[in-house]
Amino acid sequence: MTSGIRKFALSVHVTFSVGWIGAVVAYLALGISAVTMQDTQTVRAAWIAMDLIGWLAIVPLAIAALLTGLVMSLGTRWGLFRHYWVLISLVLTIVSTVVLLLHMPTVSMLADMAQAANGAHLAALGGDLFHPGVGLAVLLVIMALNVYKPRGLTRYGWRKQHEQRTVSQP
Amino acid sequence: MADLPPYTTPRWVKVLGIIALVLVLLLAILHLTGVGNLGPGRHMPSGHAGDGSPVSMTVGHGSPIAHADHQPWL
Repeated sequence: MTSGIRKFALSVHVTFSVGWIGAVVAYLALGISAVTMQDTQTVRAAWIAMDLIGWLAIVPLAIAALLTGLVMSLGTRWGLFRHYWVLISLVLTIVSTVVLLLHMPTVSMLADMAQAANGAHLAALGGDLFHPGVGLAVLLVIMALNVYKPRGLTRYGWRKQHEQRTVSQP
Repeated sequence: MADLPPYTTPRWVKVLGIIALVLVLLLAILHLTGVGNLGPGRHMPSGHAGDGSPVSMTVGHGSPIAHADHQPWL
């Protein structure tokens, strides 16, 4: 990957990743509103907005961040399985995306219910704070790993590095 | 080859692994003890939502466009 392409790919990856975090924060704000607000229309609107933000922002951004992350790691010297910070970021991103995709249908169902529910039933829906809360924490861990890039080769990376040294110093 | 130091896992990876293990065990215990129904709709009658089952898979939801008319508990 040339320097120009690498910088462009990195910009795209950072945009999707930070956008994912921002969208989760917006979702969390709506989730808190759904729990704390008393006004029926506000709670109903919050659930509908959570459904829309989830499917139209968080899911696409998550998939895009995962795919661009794969491109970045495979297209640069970091590799996918050589450094622990890349490997852990990959695993956490895949787990987060899978949990998100499994969770969103439930949000859609509750958003549908919220549209027809009256006050008491609407309150029974509660909120959705646990999943976005944990998700946000995981995303911040991934971000920290990507910024600090802590040293540490995997066993595979260590072996590859040794093989390369052996080749370069016969 | 002989002068290579033995491979060791970095300390921060071990610490992160232990923290992750503790968190996963904590969640599993909360879930098994019934305290862990942390999903949305947990105040609703059982079987509607928040029980970990893929509810919408069975009722045909899954997109913001699909708003079915059914009202299971009204």
